[in-house]
Amino acid sequence: MKEINISLKVNGKQYDLSVRPNMTLLEVIRDELKLTGTKESCGMGECGACTVIMNGRTVDSCLVLAPQADGAEITTIEGIGEKGLHPVQKAFIDEWAIQCGYCTPGMVMSTVYLLDKNPKPTEDEIKEGLSGNLCRCTGYAKIIKAVQKASKMMQ
Amino acid sequence: MDLKYVGKDIPRVDAYEKVTGTTKYMSDLSFDGMLWGKVLRSIHPHALIKSIDTSKAKALPGVEAVVTWEDVPGLNGFGIAIQDQPVLCKDKVRYAGDAVAAVAAVSKEIAEEAALLIEVEYEVLPVVDDPIRAIEPDSPKVHESGNILLHTEIRKGDIDKGFDEADLIIENTYYASRQEHAFLETEDGIALIEEDGTLTVYAGSHYPHRDQLQLSRCLNMPVEKIRVVSSPVGGAFGGKDELTIQPIMALLALKTGKPVKMVMPREESIISYWKRHPMIMIYRTGVKRDGTLVANDVKVYADTGAYASLGGPILNLALESSCGLYRIPHVHIDGYSVYTNNGISGAFRGFGVPQVTFAMESQMDIIAEKLGLDPIEFRRKNILKKGEVAPIGHHITTDVESEAVLDAMEGSRLWRERERYRGTDKNRPWIKRGVGLALSWQGMGLGVGLPDFGDAVIEMDPDGGFIVRVGCVEIGQGAMTVYAQVAAEALRFPIERIRVVIGDTRNAPDAGPTTASRAAYVGGKAIFLAAEEMNEKIKGYASGMLSVSPDEIEIDDGSAYVKTAKDKRVSYEEISSYAIERGGLPVAEGHFDLPTADKAIEGAFGLPHHIYSCCGQIAAVEVNTLTGQARVTDGAVVVDAGTVINQGGLEGQSEGGFVMGTGYALTEDLIIENGVVKTPNFSTYIIPTSKDMPSSIETIPVTNYESTGPFGAKGIGEIGMVPTAPAVTNAIYDAADIRVFKIPATGERIYELLKQKKGENK
Ligand code: FES
Ligand code: FES
Repeated sequence: MKEINISLKVNGKQYDLSVRPNMTLLEVIRDELKLTGTKESCGMGECGACTVIMNGRTVDSCLVLAPQADGAEITTIEGIGEKGLHPVQKAFIDEWAIQCGYCTPGMVMSTVYLLDKNPKPTEDEIKEGLSGNLCRCTGYAKIIKAVQKASKMMQ
Repeated sequence: MDLKYVGKDIPRVDAYEKVTGTTKYMSDLSFDGMLWGKVLRSIHPHALIKSIDTSKAKALPGVEAVVTWEDVPGLNGFGIAIQDQPVLCKDKVRYAGDAVAAVAAVSKEIAEEAALLIEVEYEVLPVVDDPIRAIEPDSPKVHESGNILLHTEIRKGDIDKGFDEADLIIENTYYASRQEHAFLETEDGIALIEEDGTLTVYAGSHYPHRDQLQLSRCLNMPVEKIRVVSSPVGGAFGGKDELTIQPIMALLALKTGKPVKMVMPREESIISYWKRHPMIMIYRTGVKRDGTLVANDVKVYADTGAYASLGGPILNLALESSCGLYRIPHVHIDGYSVYTNNGISGAFRGFGVPQVTFAMESQMDIIAEKLGLDPIEFRRKNILKKGEVAPIGHHITTDVESEAVLDAMEGSRLWRERERYRGTDKNRPWIKRGVGLALSWQGMGLGVGLPDFGDAVIEMDPDGGFIVRVGCVEIGQGAMTVYAQVAAEALRFPIERIRVVIGDTRNAPDAGPTTASRAAYVGGKAIFLAAEEMNEKIKGYASGMLSVSPDEIEIDDGSAYVKTAKDKRVSYEEISSYAIERGGLPVAEGHFDLPTADKAIEGAFGLPHHIYSCCGQIAAVEVNTLTGQARVTDGAVVVDAGTVINQGGLEGQSEGGFVMGTGYALTEDLIIENGVVKTPNFSTYIIPTSKDMPSSIETIPVTNYESTGPFGAKGIGEIGMVPTAPAVTNAIYDAADIRVFKIPATGERIYELLKQKKGENK
């Protein structure tokens, strides 16, 4: 397959890449840029483990084709805590909102976006906001507490 | 004892890496010159292989190796208990998903394309898909040896006499579905050959040392030439106990001499690997008018699928718990684990016990209602205590906090205030609400007759800190944190300067499997014992340095001092330099044998267990009578945990278990029809999302000191989801007056039951 050129900004850094046009943004992030914090779990938009922020909105990076990300600005889990831990990360640690941790990067990204749009979400709004991110370990209770805590910390 | 770390609010030691995305799971590794592997799997549930032609695949540019059964150098069979599963099938496939061949190529796409170019000629055989039909002598056979993997029959007392004594006999048949683990990290990893010829396999699992042993058999290589790294794992729940992709990756790496990576796509993972055993359970329970249980006749058919793996031990653990934690004089238990072409069933959190608990605790609820007894009172009347004879005939000799658990359930907020959670919703009269409960128990550890031990090593490092090595793995349950806490406590040393190394056959000693709720208990105890030896060594050095006898030395917080003259002290940094000058840093080892029962149950391999955990749960539900949809709104979990090492960790296990249990109760059903999986992704196989989460889950530990465990702790990893399903279905009965005999209680099923009931009432 003929490769095409794309350029994108990931965590503030500019990349010019030559990629297969059927490559997903997730593959670009994990396999080309070696930013393995973003996870693949279902590959079809059903779990949220691959969540990144693209042009200010969360996306399932497994559903975005690399050419669609041409010119985009992307933030991954590696890019949110540049000056030390982001309050959301800190709250996840404090509240034990992590077990195996495989859903965690996606959860953190969805939470960062949620609190950006809605700094004081109700419990139902949190549940709604994270409903695209599956977690099999925690039962979500501590994740929801962590979001509430992060929301307070960020006031 | 004044505890500084155990029972304290300590954050997870692996949390920082996990929230920043820097944890390297096996799926995150890559190496230069790495190839991608792809498996060709059978699409037929049952067929003979007539021929395999790999020539076209081999000819595809970019393909570096194609392997079939002919390339397996050793035993073409694996399995924890019985090695009857081929690495690559030779003449027969037994489920749709069975591995037939595999490819290594320079890219994922080429590997996929090449796999499709392999030509396999099959002769299709009739599908064996009903476990009851499968044990009839004229059924087609999945294995030459017959379709019964294991038949276990246990008798106690005189069952006929028991039923004669009974005033009420309740007989029902229960069905429990096939559950998918749905860990978020699928079966992924890399195999490669090191410069010295060692084969290294990186793949998440429960027990690297056993993977190493199984690989050595299949590859005909000495164990010393194989290194397995299997931690951290992105979720497992039992589903990575047995081998998955490891032997195939290893074959490809050996054949090409290059690193080979494999990542299971979700659908392939769901279709090809382990599931919770579906069970059909026929129960006949006899009770006296005053609520005394007198007889229980239990028949269990477990669908173990195409290969043995742990099907036998799972059946037996289920049977041990099948009569609940109750005193029943007359018991007959008859269980079959049956081969079929329905995928493969294996280990899953609870190990057979959630299924039988659903059946038994439904029986208990039905009886309590018929006799007009309070469900807790009825259970209390029959509850089994230490010193009494269990349903399978052995004496319970260790503490199982059955009564304390019942008391705590009764005292929980949800139970005391249950009236608030019952009845018709005033604003939405189609919503019926109810509260239900269930009690469970489960043996801990591997059982009688099986080697069950753990080793740990503690080394002082050059700057006076410690490295703790244990072979168990971090599957998310918090083992590393528990280990760090136990080590810090036992060494009386700052936790920040303790590094825990686990899950690697080269760098950590064998501590047995991270299963059966044993990792914290066994691994923790081995660390405790190693720490005691380390403390003695440290006192020895300090006594030399301070010129006093070792008994005069006290240690605390990273220094050793003279008891009577506290300013005469040496730091661990000084001790480490002193030790290096004298031949080397101190190393200490701990070995712990898990206590087992002294007498085995005849005809029931592995039974009985010796130490038990106990858990009771309460669920409040809402049933939408228009749609049939049920929702769990609140929950309470009472668990006999021994000493709680970490409250955050305990709550995490309990909440996670409870929510996984609500999924099992209400939605999770891996449907296989005619041997073909119908629900291979997360839009058809439904696990709970944040929106399904109850508004509250209260965790109530019953903290009785377990004298054999580290600082009095025992395991709680599995039991957290065991009683959830019957607590939920009992609550559905309370809410809508319908009895669920088949889980999951999906909207459709509840709707049907409601319709039936309406018909009856007309
Ligand atoms: S991997 Fe992208 S949504 Fe699951
Ligand atoms: S912590 Fe394991 S999936 Fe969320």
